[in-house]
Amino acid sequence: MFLRLLYQSFRRQRRRKLLAGIAVTLGVAVATAMLAVGVDVGDKINRELRSYGANIVVYPEDAALDVRIGDQQVKPASAGAYLKESDLPSIKGIFWGHNILAFAPMLETQAQSQGRTIRVLGTYFDKQLHFGTDDFRTGVEKLYPHWKVDGKWPADDSTEVVLGSRLAAQLRKHAGDSIEISDRPAQVTGILTTGGSEETAVVAPLALVQQLGNSPNAADKIYLSALTKPEDAFARRNPDHMSPADRDRWYCSPYANSIAFQLGEIFPGARAEQIRQAAQNEGTVLSHISGMMLLIALAALIAAALAVSAAMATTILERRHEVGLMKSLGATASTIASLFVTEASLLALGAGLLGFALGVLIAQRIGKAVFQSAVEITPVLLPIVILLALLVTIGGSFAAIRRALKLDPVLVLRGDV
Amino acid sequence: MSVRSSMFFHLLKRGLLGRGNRPLIAFIALAVASTMITAMLNLYYGLESKLSHDFRSYGANITVAAAEGQSLRADAVSSVKSSLGSEAVVAPFAFAIAHTQSGAALVVAGTDMSQVQNLNRWWLVSRWPAADDEALVGEKAQSHVGISNDGFDLTYSDRKIHLKQAGTIKTGADEENRVYVPLHTFEAWTGIKPSLLEISVPGSRSSVSAAIASLQSKFPDAQVRPVRQLLETEGAVIRRMRSVMFASTLLIALTVALCVFSTLTSSVLERRRDFAVMKAIGSSQGTVSALFAGEALTIAIFAALCGYSLGSALAAWISQANFHAMVPPQFRVLPLVILASVGLAFFAALLPLAQLQRIEPAGILKGE
Repeated sequence: MFLRLLYQSFRRQRRRKLLAGIAVTLGVAVATAMLAVGVDVGDKINRELRSYGANIVVYPEDAALDVRIGDQQVKPASAGAYLKESDLPSIKGIFWGHNILAFAPMLETQAQSQGRTIRVLGTYFDKQLHFGTDDFRTGVEKLYPHWKVDGKWPADDSTEVVLGSRLAAQLRKHAGDSIEISDRPAQVTGILTTGGSEETAVVAPLALVQQLGNSPNAADKIYLSALTKPEDAFARRNPDHMSPADRDRWYCSPYANSIAFQLGEIFPGARAEQIRQAAQNEGTVLSHISGMMLLIALAALIAAALAVSAAMATTILERRHEVGLMKSLGATASTIASLFVTEASLLALGAGLLGFALGVLIAQRIGKAVFQSAVEITPVLLPIVILLALLVTIGGSFAAIRRALKLDPVLVLRGDV
Repeated sequence: MSVRSSMFFHLLKRGLLGRGNRPLIAFIALAVASTMITAMLNLYYGLESKLSHDFRSYGANITVAAAEGQSLRADAVSSVKSSLGSEAVVAPFAFAIAHTQSGAALVVAGTDMSQVQNLNRWWLVSRWPAADDEALVGEKAQSHVGISNDGFDLTYSDRKIHLKQAGTIKTGADEENRVYVPLHTFEAWTGIKPSLLEISVPGSRSSVSAAIASLQSKFPDAQVRPVRQLLETEGAVIRRMRSVMFASTLLIALTVALCVFSTLTSSVLERRRDFAVMKAIGSSQGTVSALFAGEALTIAIFAALCGYSLGSALAAWISQANFHAMVPPQFRVLPLVILASVGLAFFAALLPLAQLQRIEPAGILKGE
């Protein structure tokens, strides 16, 4: 009898069920989309913030002092102490290697051109490297997206160079010209604008600068861009004074400090440090944005819960007559309640699944439209959302069922209430 | 006032005040919807200023550099401050290459410590200088200056100065190679005037561009440049967050609209008896619709006002909790919220009425 009532209820009252179903579907869809976007937005904005440039630098422990004012430098940055270029690919092998989005070595030297002394910076533009079975490309094109080249980027294994815009103006050179750098011919493929001191230098492939400075396999510094977690009090602690358990936790968290520590392990005689201007400030922005999105996702959740429970309450109140009839035919309150609750649960499950799918679609649309990349949906979201849908649907029905049960069947059936 | 219209207002009053909790439910639903919409719109409009305030912690977004080998005008700082307003932070820098006692060269910079402390909050400084002869020593420079208990000596073209170390600086960049000295001590010692201004201008990209234009006209010989790296990142993050907020606002508004719609529609449907009686005793379709619409309108306006205050408070609370700064209530949100509330109420009331029109009053009254 119970099952038949249940079946008939879905078969006969299609319009009403459809309305309630739509409410649950939309509510769940909005909750799913907002939760997915809210959780993932931190990661997306973190990548966006990385367009600021490097946030970690590696340099030799006993490098000489940099004596540089703005664009002028008194003597070469390092006298004899270098990092090994051949160690570079193993950066991808550190514990958080996956979080290193890009890196580029820098080697600076001075050269003669057109009768004047010029700064030459050697680096990777978009170099093909491989570590283990992994092939990847990295260099300043990825590390500094705000560097703009008027012309094209040089190839890493060539004698092509780009000229900083201010130097190019002084030398009166343009893209496509050739230039002699300490008697070596080079081709200018473009003019570089960075907003920084690179504008007064020649930027060339690392190999070329190593030949110029007669320093094979050398690099002064390595700049890295890593996805990090905002720094907290724990991140600032010194790993040497931690208990083994704390040390493991510190080592396995993607703090700028712990990534720098792991980099120090693969470059003997080198130090790795966070570049505080980038690393410290992105934490503030990031924690504010993810905090706000989570609060908004919570607000969306509440709005969805309200919408669903309001829809459930009205559909049940519209069915007072049914309740009155069942009561007068001798059904107990618990039988009636369990019938309605079962109906609500079935609705929540069916419409909830549909709503989850719709919500995932909406989240993907938002991700594609705003960030040009898919939003990552954690599988945990499905049970959470379905559970919430069940809770809200049943909870929303419950108050209405109680009200309907309290009414005197005589009055209801006569149409007085 | 005719009998007809006084009857209309009597019915409207009864409909609003004398019908148990039905208008209350409609009011609550609309007020909740208005609250949510107000809060989201307030956050949407307030977000940009909050985020760009966050980005100010990155430091300068404009630099003014004197032509090579020259320094800026003596009144540079005060003239920049007067043209950009008191909210702009301006830190002057003067540089010289000095030698330590052991003969090593290093860069000494003179600057206004209080401005730098305000501008570059990411500098990790163990203690800021308080006295004129105190200096900040970069972490890497420290081993080169040869610090003893009573300080260290530096020489700039035969002029010697004795400084005490106030603290160290750690930044992960060039600053660690330098020694920072209070500006007037530096000027008295070397005679070099500031050649670089680092300026942080609050506000959006357009206000930064305006500031650059005004600075360039003030300093025609100097290079006034935006810190592109920062402005581009800031612009991209704010643009994306605006889109995300816009999508969220739409989704949430859709959900609360759905909630209001289902509540109001059923409350109108429940009153089909009133509707039928009025029609049966001869009132026109227009009067009945006007009555229902008038009721909806009154409820909607009050709900919107109530929701506007609650929503502004909610937005202020969220931003206080998250950004530690309030989003002030945005008045341009108010008309939008009233419009949304009235529109929703109208639509939700009139749609079922159109449905009821097709039914004979007799049928409704008989209970079909």
